[in-house]
Amino acid sequence: MDGVRLKNDLLVAWEDTYKKGQLTLWIFLALMDGDKYMNEIKSFIEDYSENSISCEDQSLYRALRKFEHVKMIDSAPGKGNKGPDRKYYQITDLGLEIFNEFTRRNIKLFYNKKLMELMNIKTEKL
Amino acid sequence: MKIFTKQLALFALLFSIYTIIFRYLLSSSLDQEKYTIIWVYAVLYGVVIFITGWYLGKADGMNNIFFDAGLRFHLTNYVCFGIISEFWFILGFNSGKETISTVHYTLIFWGLGVIFHFIIYLLLRKQTIRGIMKSEIFD
Repeated sequence: MDGVRLKNDLLVAWEDTYKKGQLTLWIFLALMDGDKYMNEIKSFIEDYSENSISCEDQSLYRALRKFEHVKMIDSAPGKGNKGPDRKYYQITDLGLEIFNEFTRRNIKLFYNKKLMELMNIKTEKL
Repeated sequence: MKIFTKQLALFALLFSIYTIIFRYLLSSSLDQEKYTIIWVYAVLYGVVIFITGWYLGKADGMNNIFFDAGLRFHLTNYVCFGIISEFWFILGFNSGKETISTVHYTLIFWGLGVIFHFIIYLLLRKQTIRGIMKSEIFD
């Protein structure tokens, strides 16, 4: 196996593992941006993840059903564009609390000067 | 919790068809005293049920977010088998070498298995939040 292929295979393997479970975070990011129906959530995720997060309809729908059932999100019918009513999803107070706590514990800790330097991220670009 | 799903209904239908075919082959083989072939039919019956349950159970899991530890499919198996077997005897389709007590003993022992499965389900249910496995909410 040549070096380029090895590097690529290892990177893809790491990313595949890393991305497992990321859909939840992306769904909540989409809903933090405002109430959305399923296709809008999907578009948001694909746009902002630069298509790095695969977002199949069935997986997204299943995730939304689960979050709605555990009351982290809520839904309400809204007017569709010429078509039938759409189901708009919104984050609940419980969902917001959990999202804020999750990002504080797991995301914000990376915004540490030392860690940023280690990841070669220049803070002025953010 | 959604108990009846399209996949469960299809499983019940297919399982009932398999059971009727198996019952017919079993009774006719017993009448003809072809005892060895019964093992083949029994193994095939088990394998076909397993494959059908595996495939439809996975499909059911994709649509049904609630955890049941496979109990609905198991219970469907048990009820369909019991009903078909009882009616097989009531309608007189059984072989002269079969007795209904075999069916009853099967249902009693299998029933204990179903109860054990139910206890396992109750124990595992502690690992759920509002009926969904904790490990599956954010998967």
